Amino acid sequence: MHEIVQAVILGLLIGGVYALMSSGLTLVFGIMRVINVAQGALVILAAYLSYALWSNLGVDPFLSILVVTPAMFVLGVAVQLVFVRSLRGPEAPELSLLITWALALGIEGVLSVIFKTTYRVSLPSYADSTWTVFGYQVAQVRFFGFVVSWVMLGLLALLLTRTRFGRAVRATVQNPTAATLLGVDANRVQTLSFGVGVSMAAAAGAVYGVIYPFNPGSHYDLISRLLSIVVLGGLGSIGGAVVAALGMGVIEAVVAVEISPVWASFSFFVVLIGVLLVRPQGLFGMRERVL
Amino acid sequence: MLGLAALAATAGGASGRTSAGPIKIGISLSLSGDFSDPGKFAMQGYKLWAKTVNAHGGILGRQVVLDIQDDASSPTQAATNYQNFITRDHVDLVFGPFSTLLTAPSAAVANRYGYAFIEPAGGGPAVFDEKLHNVFFTQPAPIVQSGDVFVNWVLSLPKAQRPKTAAYPELDDPFSAPIAERMRQAFEKAGIKTVYKTVYPSETVDMTPIVSKIAAAKPDMVVGGTQAGDGYSLVKGLVQAKYSPKFVFEANGPNSPGEFPSKVGASNTEGIFSASDWFPKAKTYGNPYFVRQFVKTYGGTADAIDPGSAEAYAVGQVAARVIQKVGLNNAKIIAALHKGQWPTVEGTLHWNSIGEPTGKFLLVEWIGGKLYPVLPKNVAVKKPVYPKPNWGG
Repeated sequence: MHEIVQAVILGLLIGGVYALMSSGLTLVFGIMRVINVAQGALVILAAYLSYALWSNLGVDPFLSILVVTPAMFVLGVAVQLVFVRSLRGPEAPELSLLITWALALGIEGVLSVIFKTTYRVSLPSYADSTWTVFGYQVAQVRFFGFVVSWVMLGLLALLLTRTRFGRAVRATVQNPTAATLLGVDANRVQTLSFGVGVSMAAAAGAVYGVIYPFNPGSHYDLISRLLSIVVLGGLGSIGGAVVAALGMGVIEAVVAVEISPVWASFSFFVVLIGVLLVRPQGLFGMRERVL
Repeated sequence: MLGLAALAATAGGASGRTSAGPIKIGISLSLSGDFSDPGKFAMQGYKLWAKTVNAHGGILGRQVVLDIQDDASSPTQAATNYQNFITRDHVDLVFGPFSTLLTAPSAAVANRYGYAFIEPAGGGPAVFDEKLHNVFFTQPAPIVQSGDVFVNWVLSLPKAQRPKTAAYPELDDPFSAPIAERMRQAFEKAGIKTVYKTVYPSETVDMTPIVSKIAAAKPDMVVGGTQAGDGYSLVKGLVQAKYSPKFVFEANGPNSPGEFPSKVGASNTEGIFSASDWFPKAKTYGNPYFVRQFVKTYGGTADAIDPGSAEAYAVGQVAARVIQKVGLNNAKIIAALHKGQWPTVEGTLHWNSIGEPTGKFLLVEWIGGKLYPVLPKNVAVKKPVYPKPNWGG
């Protein structure tokens, strides 16, 4: 029992970080119908930026979020303006797949040239520290990562529910035509939302770089997980992505501990397939598109 | 001086082919893609060898020209490159690429055309399972045997000091799990009880569930069949779980002196064992000269030289010596390399009929913040230190 509870704790902690990564992906899909398969590469790019700040200037990886997030927001806006906005017509979603995949490969290539392909990890002074709570081990970096993820998700929720921009986003998700007729500037909403989606990847990347060793090729595994999460949660649903990410974290950790790591990833896909057979739209795909 | 003397020896003409043009050698290397870093390390070793040989008059009086083509870390492209080297460019020799994955198909191409295939990095079962007669791997032993020295050392300890229980986390990879499996079988045979064993897939990012299982089993010894990334994560996980076994061996990860401390924290390296094929202070044939020239040519420090460069340099040393002995004839080269001893920076090599070296890997250990060879005794710089101290100290 102790092992299972420990696995659940581990799963919840890491699931929170995956929730943050996938929130940006599902937000962008909800608004633009763009599947940004570069999201994993953007997470890794942010991990490198945070690592560079830590290793060169001694900036704490969690504090680096304050710098990396705005920088990645600007990058996201630029990517949307240059690569994504021009996509029109019924083939736009498929074309966006190709373009964002090309972007992912481009980011990987640039990172390989600059940082090489050896593994990197940010090791702040508290990287080895662990709290023992009722006999369970809680690594401080994972707890901080979990907290940061929920703070960022909370800020995203506030942005979407308490601001004029957020209302415009939600209106665009629910009915783009009606939103435009009511005066919402769809282009502006899409551009800024893409930037917000990428900035979520930024914060998640800084956290990821403290928890795991990474190299430029780490995005392949990440994007497959993120896509699975947003499909399970329901494309376009941030709440669904959060639930699915936490579920993935817990299922994988428990299966790895109780059965075998070999079945850990597969077990999540079994759940994914099972849910899609019953609810093809995912857990929250119909009822809740954004929050 | 030993290296200079050796190189000078290669420069003297013995077969009378001094009037011919340069010796062309085709090499496919991963200069882009997943293996681009180790591919570049190998390129540095190859280029340094060619530069050094040419500076001393070449081989048999002929200069050496390397034709290095990028294979983008693709086995298909590597095989294509060797096909082109041999059938289109008619090179005199070919040297091996980086990694077993690319070596296996490339060696088969070379074998088809009767070319010797002296190679630095294809030490996995996939290469030797082909049972080719033209392959010569320039490391001390096949990769699967890299934990043997650790096993023999542990079993040589007084019984009271030996670990009684062990855990084996193993990456599902031809260069990782087979090493740990071979070690597990030997330890079990000697009465060391296995309290946990698992094989995890290569996409496993999070090692903490595995570590929590290890910590719960409380083994005296952890033997990790690891590669670099999971090797780092395993140590970090053990540190965070506050579980410090008396013995820790990882197949890969700790054997990278330039990388390991920065990935797990310098204070957590103490007492961790790994396997290696080369180290900068080795007194092997031509090694001091190689190290000096490497630092002079590429900068940095001796400790930062990747073993991949030494492995590639050793390929050149073997080639120079055998050409010197039998001339530039691939059939004669293959026949000659199956006999006798071949001194290199990797040690004195000899091979069985399918190209497996018959020597032993080095057992290396982190002691006082540095990585030292601790066995075999004839090359050891320090004695093994055990049991491993607690993390952080």
